[in-house]
Amino acid sequence: MRKRTLARGLAGIWWVTLFFLYAPLFVIVLFSFNSANSTAVFENFSLAWYRRLFGNEQIINAFGNSLVLAVSSSIIALVIGCLIGYGMYRHRHRKLGWLIVLIYLPIVLPDIVFGISEMTFFVQIHDWTGLLQPGLGTMIIAHVTFQIPFVALIVYSRFVGLDPTLFEAAKDLYASPIKRVVHFMVPTIKPALISAFFLSFTLSIDDFVISFFTAGPESATLPIYIWSAIKKGVTPEINAIATLMIGAVAMAAIFSMLFNRQGRR
Amino acid sequence: MSYSGAVPTARSRAMVRETRHLLFTVAPGAFWIFIFLVLPSAYLMGVAFMTNGPYGLPQMPLSLDAFERLAGVGFLGWSPGNLYTLLRSLWQTLVSTVLVVIVAYPVAYYITTCREKWRPILLLLVVVPSWTNQVIRAFGWMNLLAPGTPLSSLAESLGLVAPNMGLYPSNLAVTLGLVYNFLPFMVLPLYAAFEKLDTAQVQAAQDLYASPVRAFWHAVFPQTLPGLLAGTVLVAIPAFGMYVIPELLGGGKGMMLGNLVANQFAGSSNWPLGAAGAILMLIATFIGLFAMRRIGKRLGGGEEVVI
Repeated sequence: MRKRTLARGLAGIWWVTLFFLYAPLFVIVLFSFNSANSTAVFENFSLAWYRRLFGNEQIINAFGNSLVLAVSSSIIALVIGCLIGYGMYRHRHRKLGWLIVLIYLPIVLPDIVFGISEMTFFVQIHDWTGLLQPGLGTMIIAHVTFQIPFVALIVYSRFVGLDPTLFEAAKDLYASPIKRVVHFMVPTIKPALISAFFLSFTLSIDDFVISFFTAGPESATLPIYIWSAIKKGVTPEINAIATLMIGAVAMAAIFSMLFNRQGRR
Repeated sequence: MSYSGAVPTARSRAMVRETRHLLFTVAPGAFWIFIFLVLPSAYLMGVAFMTNGPYGLPQMPLSLDAFERLAGVGFLGWSPGNLYTLLRSLWQTLVSTVLVVIVAYPVAYYITTCREKWRPILLLLVVVPSWTNQVIRAFGWMNLLAPGTPLSSLAESLGLVAPNMGLYPSNLAVTLGLVYNFLPFMVLPLYAAFEKLDTAQVQAAQDLYASPVRAFWHAVFPQTLPGLLAGTVLVAIPAFGMYVIPELLGGGKGMMLGNLVANQFAGSSNWPLGAAGAILMLIATFIGLFAMRRIGKRLGGGEEVVI
């Protein structure tokens, strides 16, 4: 009897929590279809806000900036992070404590301190040399800095999971180091490379604070655009763009669910 | 430079080759992080010890002015504003972490009681909202809590808030936003702990007529402690430095340390003061990490917590 009430109580808490987790997102989606200019009262179904969205050049620019930033920073971080990951593996018997500290630094530093450090530094360098004008360039630098550790750790853990004798075999098989990299190294760590790239991409697309502090006047990303739109005053147009972003996340969730299923089969 | 004739042995040549390899692989990334993060943070720390210039930019001479300002000492004597902000950050961190724990325990446990094939999907359902951008999530709460919405009207009719004020901006909204933001980070490690739970211990406690509370306290809680500690690191430390949620949901009276710091680099510019706040935040972060590590080690579940 008591067990049953416990089970029911648990299920109740679960459903309330789920409601709590999805209610804010649901409200955004709902009011993006509101015909009235209100986020409190729903009048009629309409696609007016979406129509306005696609005519808004700023939003399209921001979307482009987000993509350029995420793709280019992820590619740079993938190359640099892979090298570190391999170096950490190959030389794991050496004392590399300083390297570990260096790699964990971007992860443990609070976002706001990270962003402000970069900003003050870039501004100061720009003052002295004229280089590093705030814009997409400085944002890419900042994003690569927080992506490198994740790539390095993913690649490193993939190498650790491999049979060490594989490396000997590859050495016997391919004489030149370049051939070894192309025909052995890259194919064996391909899953790690793919997941590292996607993680970097996601971290970059999702980032707000660090982008916000390193951005220039012309390089607003989608989250920065939404932020400044909210600061100017809440409109259902923000709901519409947020709905599209929520839709993208929902797609990703469905894909990962299917992927999970297949993986276990 | 002249070679003294010593022929390098094969072994030392191999050493040189290995070191060159290490440099070649590790140097680009190490340099990148050093130049674009270590140097900037060192510069920021230096700024904290400089004087505030006319445009809020740092100036010589070196001084401790910024730290005095942070403690509340201004031109007009001492004021408690900054201290309130600091205490509010600590309080919000504490309250939201406790609330997250209270919600996450039953949720994580519930997932382990479900059938195995459903568990990954249920976990995914908890995590998916946190994949949307944090600005959008905070915006969702602005929509829900604004004046005129059903929730706000309910709170008004119960007399919880003044008429037409709505539930946001307020400290309550910030707490809600923090709990919402960090819940998945507690559910995941707790779920991992519950999945490994030795149920024989719980059974034994029940057989010995332990009350549910005592059974939980003596048989369940110690086993989930590593997960709880890992979750606390993932929740409390980022919550303390939160910027977006208090800025959007808190208004002027809900400001936390992150906003105090950020404001010094935007509108009311005072770089040294902001840098001093950033140092405070760093100290708090490292004390938090260190304390959790110590507790984790003492309780023998350290591996999961060590960062």
